[in-house]
Amino acid sequence: MSAENSTTVHSGLAAAPGRASGKAYVIRNAEDIMAVPAGCILVIRILHPHLAPLLPRVAGLVVEEGAILQHATTLARECGIPAAVGIRDARSLFRDGELLEVDGYTGKVIERHVDR
Amino acid sequence: MRDEQLGNIAQVAARSAQPYRRHIVGLSLQRSLFGLTAQAATTIGLPGLSSELDFPARLDENGDLFLDRSQVAALTKALLSWFTPETLELMHTRHAAACDALVDATENAARAAASLDGAPRKLSEDLANRMALVLAYGILSKFVPDVLLRALADAGDVEPPPFPETSAGAELMQNTFALYQACCALNYDPRRLQLEWPRVPAEVFQLVSEFCHRQTGFGPLAWDSPGYEDPNYVIRLLHSAFNEVDAEQVRRRLSFARRPSVARSSAGGSTKIAALRRVLGFWLDFLERETWYARRAFYFGMIPLLQQLVAGYRQKIPKFQPADLLFLDIRELVAGIADPAVIDARRHRYMENTEYLSLHGVDSSRLATMLGSS
Repeated sequence: MSAENSTTVHSGLAAAPGRASGKAYVIRNAEDIMAVPAGCILVIRILHPHLAPLLPRVAGLVVEEGAILQHATTLARECGIPAAVGIRDARSLFRDGELLEVDGYTGKVIERHVDR
Repeated sequence: MRDEQLGNIAQVAARSAQPYRRHIVGLSLQRSLFGLTAQAATTIGLPGLSSELDFPARLDENGDLFLDRSQVAALTKALLSWFTPETLELMHTRHAAACDALVDATENAARAAASLDGAPRKLSEDLANRMALVLAYGILSKFVPDVLLRALADAGDVEPPPFPETSAGAELMQNTFALYQACCALNYDPRRLQLEWPRVPAEVFQLVSEFCHRQTGFGPLAWDSPGYEDPNYVIRLLHSAFNEVDAEQVRRRLSFARRPSVARSSAGGSTKIAALRRVLGFWLDFLERETWYARRAFYFGMIPLLQQLVAGYRQKIPKFQPADLLFLDIRELVAGIADPAVIDARRHRYMENTEYLSLHGVDSSRLATMLGSS
């Protein structure tokens, strides 16, 4: 992880190709899946298949689970949604509403800090 | 060291005293199935899995899952030197048979319960054993697919992993969107459905109910966490998934999902590579369905059997509630043992675990709803 200017880069595994940016939305419990904002970057521990219907509304995917062979990889590739997996403690690192960029080619997630 | 980077267990390195997953299961009945998995795993026929002690996972009384990395490393090593076209075929056949057998046992239990014919305890035991075997495969799926992928690389395969062409999740996505469109065509968008359910026209009621029936099995690992068997869950999910989303955008995603995401392996290449790809392809498909198998077995097979058993328990314990059965372990259920004090203590502990209940979206009426007694 490195920080320069007003960004922090988190490295994971490239799970599904493409690049996307948007506001983070962190899934912490079962209720959170009922209010996923359109165009968000979904941050989740693991993307189970039953959550697949939510994917068309998200711009990108950040997953804590650390393996390339997992549900999120399969689903994100099928839907053409850029995804990075293996971003350790992502649900603690990111806050709802902060700007994230997902690079599904490299597995990097760029956290853009807003200067105040 | 490559062993330390294997699969989904990579993140538990150097902290094996920490759970691999916390609070994954809360109900005594479901938790007790994990107690059967080590025994079930010995029947799979994999090298290094001849004794219950070899199984690398355990669930503690808090519902936390622990994985033993040294056992995983030993199994990985044993597997890598064991793979041949013949052993891979055997592995594939047994895995597919375990999944098919659970589907058959589920249908058998549902049929027997519906006809009030059969011995519910024996059927419950049979169903539980088959669920435990599929569960054992589910635990193994935390690292076996990665072992297969490594074996493919070692054998010189350069193609992408054989991901499913249309995964179970993609099918669910398509079917859920189809339900959304059908309901909207009848002037019932998700918001209106939420407001009026279940007092909706018969046609709408039937659409949603049939969808729930068909998709039962999709949902979280924890049975008490609501999933697609529950119309209220589905209606809320419809709203979350498709509210303020351009239908054309959804169609684009879905059409993407219908295209093969990776090139499929041709028939060429070495026999071992072809066998490895076939087995890995099956595991990747299984990854998408492992929870579905057991959850569907519970809702379609086990619950009707439990409902049959309630009357017998009430003869012995007048205050017995259907949901009390969820606080028995499978051995107690099969043996017909029920101690009201033990059940009360387990239920109390479960209801006190607000972190678990919140994580899994379990409200106060959920258990009664599950058993159809609300």
